[in-house]
Amino acid sequence: MLKTILKRFLQIIPILFIVVTIIFVITRMIPGDPAAVMLGPQAPVEAVNDLREELGLNKSISQQYFMYLKDILKGDLGKSYYYNESVVKLITEKFPNTLSLSLVAIIIALIIGVPVGIISATKQYSFFDYISMIAALVGVSMPIFWLGLMMVLVFSVKLAWLPSIGMGSIDNGLWDLVSHYILPSICLATIPAATFARITRSSMLEIIKQDYIKALRSKGLKEKIVVWKHALKNALPPIITVIGLQMSSLLAGAILTETIFSWPGMGKLIVDAISNRDYALIQSTVLFVALIYVVINLIVDIAYLYLNPKVSYEAGKGGE
Amino acid sequence: MKRIISLMLVIVLSLALFAGCGETNDVPKDKPSDNNSEQTANENPGEPKDGGTITVALSATPKSIDPVKYTGVYEGNIITNVADTLIKYKQDLSELVPNLATEWNVSDDGLVYTFKLRDDVHFQQGKYQDGRLMKADDIKYSLERSAKESAMNRLSMLDHVDVVSDFEVKCYLKEANSAFLTVLTDSGNVIVPKEEVEGWKEAFGFNLVGTGPFKVVQWNNDDSVVLERSDNYWGEKPHLDGAVFKFISDRNMMTNALRTGEIDVATDLSGESVEIVKSAEGLVLQEVPGLHVGYVYMNLMEGPTKDKRVREAIIRSIDIDQMVKGIYKFDEAERGYLALPPGSWGYDESLESLIPSYDPERAKELMKEAGYEDGFTTQIYVADKPARVKMATILQSFLKQNINVDVEIKKVEWGTFSDIASKGKAPMYGMSWTWYPDPYFFLNYMFHSSQIGALGNGQGFNNPEVDRLLGEAGKATETNERAKYYKQALKLITEEYSRINYSHEKVIYGLTDRVQGFNLRADSQITLTSSEVNVWLNK
Repeated sequence: MLKTILKRFLQIIPILFIVVTIIFVITRMIPGDPAAVMLGPQAPVEAVNDLREELGLNKSISQQYFMYLKDILKGDLGKSYYYNESVVKLITEKFPNTLSLSLVAIIIALIIGVPVGIISATKQYSFFDYISMIAALVGVSMPIFWLGLMMVLVFSVKLAWLPSIGMGSIDNGLWDLVSHYILPSICLATIPAATFARITRSSMLEIIKQDYIKALRSKGLKEKIVVWKHALKNALPPIITVIGLQMSSLLAGAILTETIFSWPGMGKLIVDAISNRDYALIQSTVLFVALIYVVINLIVDIAYLYLNPKVSYEAGKGGE
Repeated sequence: MKRIISLMLVIVLSLALFAGCGETNDVPKDKPSDNNSEQTANENPGEPKDGGTITVALSATPKSIDPVKYTGVYEGNIITNVADTLIKYKQDLSELVPNLATEWNVSDDGLVYTFKLRDDVHFQQGKYQDGRLMKADDIKYSLERSAKESAMNRLSMLDHVDVVSDFEVKCYLKEANSAFLTVLTDSGNVIVPKEEVEGWKEAFGFNLVGTGPFKVVQWNNDDSVVLERSDNYWGEKPHLDGAVFKFISDRNMMTNALRTGEIDVATDLSGESVEIVKSAEGLVLQEVPGLHVGYVYMNLMEGPTKDKRVREAIIRSIDIDQMVKGIYKFDEAERGYLALPPGSWGYDESLESLIPSYDPERAKELMKEAGYEDGFTTQIYVADKPARVKMATILQSFLKQNINVDVEIKKVEWGTFSDIASKGKAPMYGMSWTWYPDPYFFLNYMFHSSQIGALGNGQGFNNPEVDRLLGEAGKATETNERAKYYKQALKLITEEYSRINYSHEKVIYGLTDRVQGFNLRADSQITLTSSEVNVWLNK
């Protein structure tokens, strides 16, 4: 198993190299001159040219690429043109904000999604089942932007219960912090909660129809124990895969959620970096997100191995 | 499983706490404003009260408030409340008035400007100086720094500054340029202490120190800037304890935050937000005519629009009054005619009659004369902004209907737009321009041949006589004389039919009713405390 993990780990390197190259090429292909964007519409021609020179944008693309690769190998991810700060500092500043929001969201999604899925499966074709699956269908198809605006209209503007923007601070008391988390995290949790409910339901349905579950029941084991302990454990692997996938795509969802709620996280950082043509920042944030995807996938695979040792990543090599 | 869940909960909560610690508070609200307001929002607000913090939302995220690095109005809004310029515009932008300088005069050749300074101005206390007296050396340092380092070449006309005495300086220009005084009012040319600039180095952009009514206490990247009243401000004491400038890029959310009271001032409103603020209880809408021109450029270097007859045909085939009504459903703009806003002293109403009127028949004849009887296919580029996209759509339908020109609308985001437009790659593009009331900042930037290749003159306007007139206007020191040259230049520009100037958008802000004494300015500059304005909070 250790060997498998190590192997999977080494695979990360070529993947990241490809990501670095692709994102470098793409950022250079989008039209728009970082110097002109930074200085704004009223900038005189000479000022724009001076800034291009200063930023090293007059060098050829291949020169810029090799310089960039060299810097990465040295562990230097570069400096944001726009903020004039090291991108590592910006990412370490913003990532905890996004991570905490995503984790709160994923926990809300798990708390709602998994039990709803289980109950729906055990009470298949019941009223609860229909209602919750319709809700889940609505949930997965919900446009986040619209949902966020509606939640603000209802809970902030009409009812005045919750703040609509920003992140709050523990300096103003625990409620200030918590209240700022509620709307954005629920908004962000909607799609994963609905996805978890659907996947849990189908995975559970498959398991509880199997013979060994029937056997357990016939032995007179309590229904609760049959469902929540024996059936759930075997239904978990596909659910874990989906949790992993959702964790990664939460980062994408966070881009919208953070824009709506002015949440100072990575999502907003990426959007601003792209519109500012902040090359170093775009490259590094995308690289960072790619790294997270890869790492989460690795963790999911390891969890798989742990839950179901029969899964082998050596398969396909023939006869091992 | 339970253990895993509880472990995750602990991690999440600690991360949330940790992440929350560095954040700024959402401070309360109240805000001031400047100038030129046609309607005063709160007629009888009672006696001004001291105290409270106003929260002002800005629609873009400032990256630095180092005066030599700033590039956007929203950054300038923060800078002007922290630091002072030598001279400034009156609130109504009608004239230049003293600020740190008490008086000034200009040599006959327009090359030397002498300023006498106030002798009672102190810097805010900072990390590298203790709030010392501001002297002539600081003027020399700050202006020369701007001339050398300004990202926007704001003081490129300045050669050097001589210190005459502790409270008198002489500024020498490279060549006469009467826009110099106007440029001095720019937030990019505020006076700063050398010790702080050199001490903070790059970080000065987040730790600006000046002589203004408020000092910077906290900079939260991407989120907000917190200001507090400065105790050694030389002018009138501000009513406010402080101000928070909060960055909210989404217009709808800004309006919602105003309705919930999380912010006191929402800037740059447009579209339905205007209607929402107007009808909401407890909110006040302030608007003034802006120094703004909305226009469509036509490419003068290549394509059918190179032919003046085609340009005239295009103008004649659009009912501009109808177009403006269609774009600005909430009355957010006036109909425009010329390349200058009516608020500029170079504006000449008599030139409005030079604009070809709506006349589809004449347009068809002109197209025939130019050899485009059957029309042609072209493109219009606009940035992804509702008012621009609506404009392009209406223009598209008029051109198709009246002169059989097929217009493809290319909606692109700003970085792409400015690249294509400035390089003259767009057959037509729609954008707008706003700056000081001095015509220099409109006509020189948009019609002088030296600006071809910049966004200002991306269409390639090139007329030696216009260049000459603009040059003369720059050398003249009397405003009346300058206005004469600018009006002549504006006449030639208008007769070229080089673009369609269709609107002058208003500056529209939304305030909560607890904000008193806020006075909107046509240049969108936010002043919380000055000789004319002192914003305070009711309740």
